[in-house]
Amino acid sequence: MSEAVIVSAEIAAGHDGDADLIVCVRYENGVVAPVTLDPETAMKLLSACGVSNINELAGQPWRKVLEDI
Amino acid sequence: MFDILIKNGLLVDGTGAAARQADIAIRDGKIAAVGKVEGTARRTIDASGRVVAPGFIDPHTHFDVQLLWDGAARPALAHGVTTVVPGNCSLSLAPLKAADRGRVIGMFQQIEEMPPEAFTQAFEWTWEDFAGYRDALARNLSVNVAPLVGHSVIRLWVMGAASQERAAHPDEIAAMQALLRQCLKDGAIGLSTSFVDVDENARPVPSRFAQFSELDALCAVLGEFGRMLQVVPEFYDADLTIARVDQLSELSLKHNIPTTFSPLFDSVQAPNNVSKVMARVSEQFARGARVWPQVQTRPIDISFSFLNPSLYFARLPRWMRILRQPLEQRLASLRDAETVAKMVADAETFRMAGPMGGLVIRGGDKAPAHYVGRTLGDIAKERGQTVPQALIDISLEGDLDVAFLSANQGHNITDRVGPLLAHPLVHVGASDGGAHLKSFATYGDTGFLFSEFVRASKHLTLEGAVKKITSETAAIWGLKDRGTIAPGYAADVVVFNADTIGRGEERPVFDMPGDGMRYTRDAVGVDTVLVNGQVAFTNGAYTEARAGIACV
Repeated sequence: MSEAVIVSAEIAAGHDGDADLIVCVRYENGVVAPVTLDPETAMKLLSACGVSNINELAGQPWRKVLEDI
Repeated sequence: MFDILIKNGLLVDGTGAAARQADIAIRDGKIAAVGKVEGTARRTIDASGRVVAPGFIDPHTHFDVQLLWDGAARPALAHGVTTVVPGNCSLSLAPLKAADRGRVIGMFQQIEEMPPEAFTQAFEWTWEDFAGYRDALARNLSVNVAPLVGHSVIRLWVMGAASQERAAHPDEIAAMQALLRQCLKDGAIGLSTSFVDVDENARPVPSRFAQFSELDALCAVLGEFGRMLQVVPEFYDADLTIARVDQLSELSLKHNIPTTFSPLFDSVQAPNNVSKVMARVSEQFARGARVWPQVQTRPIDISFSFLNPSLYFARLPRWMRILRQPLEQRLASLRDAETVAKMVADAETFRMAGPMGGLVIRGGDKAPAHYVGRTLGDIAKERGQTVPQALIDISLEGDLDVAFLSANQGHNITDRVGPLLAHPLVHVGASDGGAHLKSFATYGDTGFLFSEFVRASKHLTLEGAVKKITSETAAIWGLKDRGTIAPGYAADVVVFNADTIGRGEERPVFDMPGDGMRYTRDAVGVDTVLVNGQVAFTNGAYTEARAGIACV
């Protein structure tokens, strides 16, 4: 695998009462770990990936998030 | 003669010792005697059938502003909280130069969601230094206050606008050290900092521009006093949180200070996060570090209105597209019958109509009063509509300013949260009292500790739960002579019904300055609360007592 990719995405309750997005990322070394994105970052991610449904985030490169934060 | 005698109660003294029948005598604000007490008193309180415990201590609040016009931190006092720690998350109201007030108000409003009138009408802003703020507070206190000083305001005082632009120079760090030292001499209980928070313009707060050397230098000053460092770590990522745990541990060991971080909460979507963090916390405690994770008792809700796009709809592409449109365009789409029909159909197709039925209308400035507190499913049935259609129509009828609640969406599995709260290295806190006013109620966490985790699930004993939020908290923070009912200790006392103590339903109230709205919860099962030997709350009402102090 050449780069880290998102393998799944789920909505979760955030500390401040917003709905956050938890994406599971498989890194280059094979480790899979969750990262929580606040709504604003998550919206940017959806736009950057050209998708409007979190189910379509699977397979998208993690760099799409890093480019935005 | 005693001032007050509390008779016939079941004493839970805060130490974790087994409950026992005992009287408590109070004189000059202190516990004078415990046990079978002989003698008379000016006032006797019959606590038959009730628990008598030390007043609860809330270590994570943002009551900094509210305390200036409401010395009871309502409704915290009614819930049995007798000491609050404001000034968390790098923000306090002192030290603060008059010219910088606007900047800090913006930061406070971002966190507290307090109306502007709270800062312009509700109190006279007379101070710049920490001693002046402490004195302004002390004039009207019904609860005790142990205030933190915020790293962001210390930075702002020394660096001005550059505090939100760059790292500090050595001379600036030295000036911050001197300023922190003075604040600690003037009554600050420690320093708070944040690696997460932003101001009203989404810019990082000043503390986030600090290099580690700056924090290390400030902790050296904390070490002179043995005082607390409170931190908001990057809690959205367990690995980053663990890295902060390691940093805090180094600071704790190097400077011999306690540290605490918050929030730490459970999420089934990231089920291993808490256990990973706790494993590292345990390792660091074993090394001798003091790095206390604060864990809240209450579940986390998701709330939203159609005024701002919410990820609640993230599985509904059409809804997301429409709710992310500019306001006028959004309104037009929501008024278009053909578009709405497709949205309703999507909600059914993607199986969201069912969950939507469980949404509760919680408030918002234009929520119909007769709908507040009811489920959307119930209301839709009454209106003869589908649930998604009712959601859209009710939002439109309220100009989109109607708030909906999806309750208990995080930190909500009792069998996961209970053992965490009972963990000997977990510090029960993180209530955020006085913050997030327009988003959710931050009151009643102590009542919920007893109703959910003592009575219902039995993850904690009554004595263990009381200890967590009294003597243990006092010991962690170095609060002298508080948190225990024993002779010589401050007479902060709560009398409650162990069978009923809990928290009331969340409800919107308009009691902030300028008729500002906040969500609150009433106390349940709390009979009487004493602060420094004076009855501050009894029979469902606050008294005129103003015995609270700014304490360390």
